[in-house]
Amino acid sequence: MSLKELSSLEKALGLKNTNKYSTQGDRKVPVLQSINGPALVGLVTIATHLVQEAKRPELLGGSAEHKAVVQQWLEYRVTKVDGCHKEDIKTILKDLNSYLEDKVYLAGNQFTLADTLMYYGIHHVIVDLAVQEKEKYMNMTRWFDHVQHYPGVRHHLPPVVVLRNRVYTSGHH
Amino acid sequence: MTKDAVQGAAEEADQAQSKKGLKKQQKEAEKAAKKAEKQAKLAADTQSTDEDDFAKDRYGVPQMVQSQQKLDRVLVRVQKLTPEKADQLIWVRARIHTSRAKGKQCFLVLRQQQFNVQALVAVGERASKQMVKFAANINKESIVDVEAMVRKVEQKIESCTQQDVELHIERIFVISQAEPRLPLQLEDCVRPDGEGDEDGRATVNQDTRLDNRVIDLRTTTSQAIFRLQSGVCQLFRDTLTNKGFVEIQTPKIISAASEGGANVFTVSYFKTSAYLAQSPQLYKQMCICADFDKVFCVGPVFRAEDSNTHRHLTEFVGLDIELAFNYHYHEVIESITDTMVQIFKGLREKFQTEIQTVGKQYSSEPFRFLEPTLRLEYTEGVAMLREAGVDMGDEEDLSTPNEKLLGRLVKEKYDTDFYVLDKYPLAVRPFYTMPDPNDKKYSNSYDMFMRGEEILSGAQRIHDAQLLTERAIHHNIDLEKIKSYIDSFRYGAPPHGGGGIGLERVCMLYLGLHNVRQVSMFPRDPKRLTP
Repeated sequence: MSLKELSSLEKALGLKNTNKYSTQGDRKVPVLQSINGPALVGLVTIATHLVQEAKRPELLGGSAEHKAVVQQWLEYRVTKVDGCHKEDIKTILKDLNSYLEDKVYLAGNQFTLADTLMYYGIHHVIVDLAVQEKEKYMNMTRWFDHVQHYPGVRHHLPPVVVLRNRVYTSGHH
Repeated sequence: MTKDAVQGAAEEADQAQSKKGLKKQQKEAEKAAKKAEKQAKLAADTQSTDEDDFAKDRYGVPQMVQSQQKLDRVLVRVQKLTPEKADQLIWVRARIHTSRAKGKQCFLVLRQQQFNVQALVAVGERASKQMVKFAANINKESIVDVEAMVRKVEQKIESCTQQDVELHIERIFVISQAEPRLPLQLEDCVRPDGEGDEDGRATVNQDTRLDNRVIDLRTTTSQAIFRLQSGVCQLFRDTLTNKGFVEIQTPKIISAASEGGANVFTVSYFKTSAYLAQSPQLYKQMCICADFDKVFCVGPVFRAEDSNTHRHLTEFVGLDIELAFNYHYHEVIESITDTMVQIFKGLREKFQTEIQTVGKQYSSEPFRFLEPTLRLEYTEGVAMLREAGVDMGDEEDLSTPNEKLLGRLVKEKYDTDFYVLDKYPLAVRPFYTMPDPNDKKYSNSYDMFMRGEEILSGAQRIHDAQLLTERAIHHNIDLEKIKSYIDSFRYGAPPHGGGGIGLERVCMLYLGLHNVRQVSMFPRDPKRLTP
């Protein structure tokens, strides 16, 4: 799962030389054996490293506050979203939906690594949502649709259909 | 121990016992005295009432009505109590909806069907203290005859339907006494969803209400629902009769299942078995073959589906239509959709009060429809669903969630709650459905939807005995059992089509309700046979 994600991320970042990855432990934590140094462990660590390698540091945030928010959402992704139980998904969707009410991207107005990884991490949930649920979490769906169309991001994942107009306006049924 | 000692001990025991006995006796005597005192007081009370009550002929529980006398008394309908009747002395028969005594007066709310009016008994020239007390003690839901003066009120009475007047009671007689404890309270039944939760007040769940259906049916909401339902039937009849249709009656005990054998009730019929009709399908078609040209039928329909959903009943009322057409089955669709539109219009014009009454408890948007009715083809519907991200095959039947979603998509695009979906895949329809001449995969069949839920299923029927036999064989139907049906097409049968509507579903969806049991007076489902 996360290996596919990392290779998609590499392509999204425009990296040519494909790295070799392995996994460790029951939870299949990704490991990157780098050429000049010790092995890197963990999705966020490796992803951050790839961003540096691609010389795209702005994807980790500009100002110190911005950087902190990006880190916060990267952490949210691996601690809350990954391995989350079915009944907790609703809470996550609700959280994201209210957080994104006045934002284009997770860290405000700029696209960052947090958006990419959150998109990869939550895709399997959104794919299964009914039209009505997608409309219920409208802000989250808008963000999701925007990110899936962001140049170069989608790669290994199938597109999710998002209706542009509201169908359940009245709350009937 | 000596003999004496034994005796002494026995005496002592005796004495102890008698001591206890004495106490007991004393207590009993006290009790009896108290009782006597009470009785005396009560007697005195009643005596005093008898003595001092100048109004004792103005209230009470009269003899049971056994048709002893023909009174020349006009009972005014509560609905008619308007300011025009002000300062008139009138008689009303109604139920005690609520009563509230306050010192020297007692406020009653008198209810008659979905209408109610405030009434007042106050100590004065016409009513005594005892009369007010009597009025306050009448059990809720009792039926009373009341003679009263109609008076205009300065401030509108918000809690009643008759807001501009109140009744000043001069006489009150209990015609039928209700038991003091009701299995459920009417106010709890009409509370809008969610409102009770906030105030921590009780709401009654549906099963309890259905268990005590007689009381539940007295609520304003139920009264309105079933008046509207009666209206649907009447509008259906009137519209079709005006179009030259003939009403027919068909048997409900039949020898063969009309649409698939799985979901029929089997009844023992002397030495053999029979089925309860799933629809009057075969009979209305036979009437067409018998030159009745345009027929309709209103009657019970049975489905032995073991599904416990919000919209399935095992017995419901079917409104069935069948008519011969000239060249194209769209003539049939137009005839049916026009009938539906006439019903919707009639309801909108004549049943506004009822619609609003139901809306107070179950709010919903007004029902929207187009003229002429929107007709979509099945493939268009599937395309709309696919566009919304639904993955389904060309010849797959619509699942309930997809059906509802399509309804929302249609509403969004065309702003209508009523539409026809035409050209269903042949594979998902019954054997007597006419195949589409241009594409063997499809058929000349259609469903009609209200608020995204199916209310009618219909088609052009096969009027050719040979093709009909082929299709029956294709569906593995025992030809022997439907012989009389197939034979009826051998002696000249006009092309025809029709459809069957579920009365309860139409009412439910028109009013935007959520459960078909709300619009069935005594619902039957796999888990309910009573009341």
